[in-house]
Amino acid sequence: MIPVVLQHYLVVSAVLFSLGLAGVIIRRNALVIFMSLELMLNAANLALVAFSRYNGNLHGQVFVFFIITVAAAEVAVGLAIIVALFRRRKTVNVDELTSMRL
Amino acid sequence: MNLSLLKLEIATAGLAMLVLMLDVFTRRDDKRFLGAISAAGLTAILAWSFWGGMVEGAGFHGMWINDALALFFKRLFLIATILVTVMSVGFAGKIESGVGEFFALILFACTGMMLTASVSDFVMLFVALELVTVSFYILTSFLRRQVASLEAGVKYLILGALSSAFLVYGITFIYGATNTTSFAGLAEFLSAKGATGLVLLGVLLVLAGLGFKVASVPFQIWVPDVYQGAPSPVTAFLAVGSKAAGFALLLRLLYGGLLPMKATWVALIAVLAAVTILYGNLAAIPQKNIKRLLGYSSISHAGFLLLGVAAATAFGTGAVLFYLFAYVFTTLGAFLVIVCLAHATADDEIASYAGLARRSPLLAAAMTVALVSLAGVPPMAGFFAKFLVLSAVIGQQLWWLAAVGAVGVVASLYYYLGVVKAMYWQEPRDEGAIAVSLPMKATLWCVMGATLLIGVYQGPFVAWAFDVAGRFMK
Repeated sequence: MIPVVLQHYLVVSAVLFSLGLAGVIIRRNALVIFMSLELMLNAANLALVAFSRYNGNLHGQVFVFFIITVAAAEVAVGLAIIVALFRRRKTVNVDELTSMRL
Repeated sequence: MNLSLLKLEIATAGLAMLVLMLDVFTRRDDKRFLGAISAAGLTAILAWSFWGGMVEGAGFHGMWINDALALFFKRLFLIATILVTVMSVGFAGKIESGVGEFFALILFACTGMMLTASVSDFVMLFVALELVTVSFYILTSFLRRQVASLEAGVKYLILGALSSAFLVYGITFIYGATNTTSFAGLAEFLSAKGATGLVLLGVLLVLAGLGFKVASVPFQIWVPDVYQGAPSPVTAFLAVGSKAAGFALLLRLLYGGLLPMKATWVALIAVLAAVTILYGNLAAIPQKNIKRLLGYSSISHAGFLLLGVAAATAFGTGAVLFYLFAYVFTTLGAFLVIVCLAHATADDEIASYAGLARRSPLLAAAMTVALVSLAGVPPMAGFFAKFLVLSAVIGQQLWWLAAVGAVGVVASLYYYLGVVKAMYWQEPRDEGAIAVSLPMKATLWCVMGATLLIGVYQGPFVAWAFDVAGRFMK
């Protein structure tokens, strides 16, 4: 039997965060990038809950609720903006968002 | 617990909801009326902050602190928001739909900024910052028929969310190590156990998130595109409000939670300041679009403000406060002119400012005052602000930093005066006079007057800023 310790959760959280960051950097579709950003926020949520459990107080868990709420607001606004952009440009590829240059 | 610690924020949020509500009952052609209500309400709140018997103190279980610094920043945000609202009334013709919401969102962003001034807990920091940022996502992409505005919105959204993710992850590590989210708890931990690896990582990630807000190198990538694409009043609000909110948080965090590791952050901030000043000023030189130019200029001003933070003395903090105060009037002056011209010229290219002095002497004069003040030429407000930050740095024997600042000032003269040259010594494309509405004219005179007044008669303003800084650092 392998006991599950704090480090396990933190490793999973770090993997999630790195995957999210890699997605933001590598993927070119604005929607996928936005999804990757949510992954990064959830990595933080996981670590917070784990810390909260092992530290023995609830501050971390309460903070998670705030993060979820704010992320929901961000998604609502973000998707609306991306949809509006798609209607106008017929693309959500970030490489093509180049109407503004020097 | 004392609810009156929060009364200015409650009033501002209430005003925002009132405007949203009235929006429903206003006819399509009368939406500007909402801007007038919003500006009047904010003026009343500003007056209340002076005569309402403000209570100082901490509350809400150490999450909230209302002190001299908080009050200074709140008044600053209120003044900036009033001017931005007046500007937006002049701009309202360009907005196709949702003018009422535009004013309400500005008020919500203002509420968020006022919250940042009183933060003394990481949860509060996150929520206040996000209230500002999410409002700005919408405001930036508000002209939803214009590709530039939408592109600016998407870029701000992605990079803003990325910086929030870093911020949140940083807070997570700090909480994991210290077992608390309050600044006081962090300071206690640092002085007892020193900066352990986990805390250090967390602090660096949080500072990265704040670096994005104040637009310091290497987190400035978003600035040029967002400044250029966003509606002009929003760009102005980003330049003054969002930046000042970032500095309010930076001061709160550095002198609240991170005071025990002062030696470390002084070195870090000093390097960031130097790189930011050089990048902002050098990259601004070849710019052809006035809003993009002001974007790069705002990066360089973030660098100068960081100089004052890097000095890490009461003098330095006082200099930062005075700088922000002068910067609000100076920058908003420039953007008022841009808004006035938005109806007359098709684009914001510097080339279309050619011969402006002949088409509208008032606009040309206002722009000149603003740009000369941004460049830091006496007797404008901007000169004295730069003088104070540089002397704060020299007072700490950081000669190299002062030298970088001086190089930045000289480089900035080139691009600011390039615009002035175009306005006064180049032939206009078309000769037609530009009409400026009466409220805009009055605001232009006020802002111009303030820029000159703060520059010439700086004594009381400097005394005020230094008094606040002294009480904050005590």
